[in-house]
Amino acid sequence: MHPDPARSPAWTPSRDAIGLWAVEGAVGTLVLALVVTGLEVFLPLPTWLAVLLPALVMAEGVVAIGVRPRLRYRVHRWEVTAEAVYTRTGWLSRTWTLVPVTRIQTVDVTRGALQQLFGLASVAVLTASSQGTVRIPHLDAEVAARVAEDLAHRAELVRDEAT
Amino acid sequence: MSPSRTSWRIVLVHTITFKQARQWVPVVLGIGALRGLTDGPWAVVALVAGITAVSLATAVLAWWRTTYADGGTSVVVTRGLLSRSVRTVPLDRVRGVEVEAPPLHRLFGLVRVRVDAAAGAVQGADEELVVDGLPRAEADRLRAHLLARRSAPTPEAPAEPVEQELFRFDDRWLLYAPLVGSYLAVPLAAVGALLRLADELPRRWRPDLGRPDLTDTAVVAGALVAVVVVLVVGSVVGSAVVNWRFRLTRRGGSLVAVRGLVTRRHTELEVDRIRGCTVSEGLGMRWVRAARATALVTGLGDAARRGQLLPLGPRDQAWSVTRLLVEDPGPLRAHPPAARRRRLVRSCAPGVVLVLAGAVLTATAGWWWVPAAGVVLAGLGVPLGLGRYADLGHVAGPRSFSLRSGWLVREQVVLQRRAVVGWQVQQSFFQRRQGVATVVAAVGAGAGGYQALDIGAADVAPFAEAASGPWAGALAR
Repeated sequence: MHPDPARSPAWTPSRDAIGLWAVEGAVGTLVLALVVTGLEVFLPLPTWLAVLLPALVMAEGVVAIGVRPRLRYRVHRWEVTAEAVYTRTGWLSRTWTLVPVTRIQTVDVTRGALQQLFGLASVAVLTASSQGTVRIPHLDAEVAARVAEDLAHRAELVRDEAT
Repeated sequence: MSPSRTSWRIVLVHTITFKQARQWVPVVLGIGALRGLTDGPWAVVALVAGITAVSLATAVLAWWRTTYADGGTSVVVTRGLLSRSVRTVPLDRVRGVEVEAPPLHRLFGLVRVRVDAAAGAVQGADEELVVDGLPRAEADRLRAHLLARRSAPTPEAPAEPVEQELFRFDDRWLLYAPLVGSYLAVPLAAVGALLRLADELPRRWRPDLGRPDLTDTAVVAGALVAVVVVLVVGSVVGSAVVNWRFRLTRRGGSLVAVRGLVTRRHTELEVDRIRGCTVSEGLGMRWVRAARATALVTGLGDAARRGQLLPLGPRDQAWSVTRLLVEDPGPLRAHPPAARRRRLVRSCAPGVVLVLAGAVLTATAGWWWVPAAGVVLAGLGVPLGLGRYADLGHVAGPRSFSLRSGWLVREQVVLQRRAVVGWQVQQSFFQRRQGVATVVAAVGAGAGGYQALDIGAADVAPFAEAASGPWAGALAR
């Protein structure tokens, strides 16, 4: 096995994130199931397709609810050091993002409807580049608020030109 | 400074071009259609006179209600007939000033000034502040004033900035145009418009040409030659209209580009905001060693056009202007063999899929030509994949770094170390198995991010640190 291209950041998101991802997966599977049911009822499908489609939906459900949330939780990591914000996201593909505090322009905290149910919040750190945005998903709401406040404060202190 | 008006002569320009009256035209036409133009030629004359009067009146009103004021800290433009709009742009947000002179403006000795104030959140037309219809001298004063704050910190007497010409466009470079895709599109669009127009002509005005005899080789060959001639001449003319007498000069802390045959454009870029350059060469341009060079400037709207340093010219010239702005980081390093394997797999995959699908179709329907086409496609994929691999490269020098990719249009970007506002490392499942990763340098200029495709996993952190600074060492420890 080859070495990782970058080290893993130190901290994990909230454990409740697994539950949230599972609920998201369940909702997605439910929508798929409804579509397939509609197809089966209203279209004259050949027999092999009529059997294959529900099987695929079942497989997607197992992956989306049982497997993917756990894989995601193993991949997702974040870290705020003295100089930079560092994250890793993804599940099969992985993305590491590193942004120095000196280049931070805006810090956003968002709480979606599902997140509020689980008491979670996401932090987004924006820079002058559209591709230089760091998203730290699904932290405990208080942790997210504290991190955002700390980052915004430090960015203001050290900001050079930020572009 | 008290608000001032633009030159009154702009009223004439706007009357002729119907600038403000344009929105009334459908109404007038509607009335005309309702009444029916049956009263003979006098009705038409009256209509034309009426429209012109409306145009003159609205142009006068617009001129009278538009003022601009450039104070010590901001520039304010007030306009609007009924609803007033006041736009204030702080001087430290001004990213560039462009002075352009369309033909009609030139006739009256006027220019149009566009102030580029990229505010980040607002996009499109709101990014610009336009002052239309200034005399040349006043426009030069305004531009100097808006960009003056750069030289403000030095308390000494502001010396007249030295003008240094970097290069002039050589007319022979226009001959490269037929090999550039975007210029080739010019004659095609013109021919398309002409055909549409011919289609709308009443039948009795259309000449009866009869049907061409397509079996006659001379006719076909003649048509082909005509098409080629139209394409070549059209693209040369198209690029001449845009790039005529292109001249790049350095004046104090900025670069000034002047270009254009019909509309003269005058674009000013702050050297301080330049973060890097791209040199791009299309397939046809590589053949004759031509290239174009574009500056990457932070917060510049419409950057692809305004940032142009060399719209079209010899590759050596593109590189010499790039080296003036960004230090040369040295020769590119090749990517690992896994990158070549991945390019080959990608470019041959469609052909292989076609062969497999074709095997089934040959067995069931006897379509032997489907797998045959697949074999040809897969065979063509080999040079394509090798070419794409050969165009990959990356290098980090002491003060700058460079990345290259692309095959149809090969683009090499050279960036200063300070340009990087963040790093992104992407690794798909398959990249992970092959020990490579894609590194994206996030930059607050140009495309926003530039990627090094498939570099060795172990090289990622050292490259990022060498290309940006010690902070990127966080990727490794």
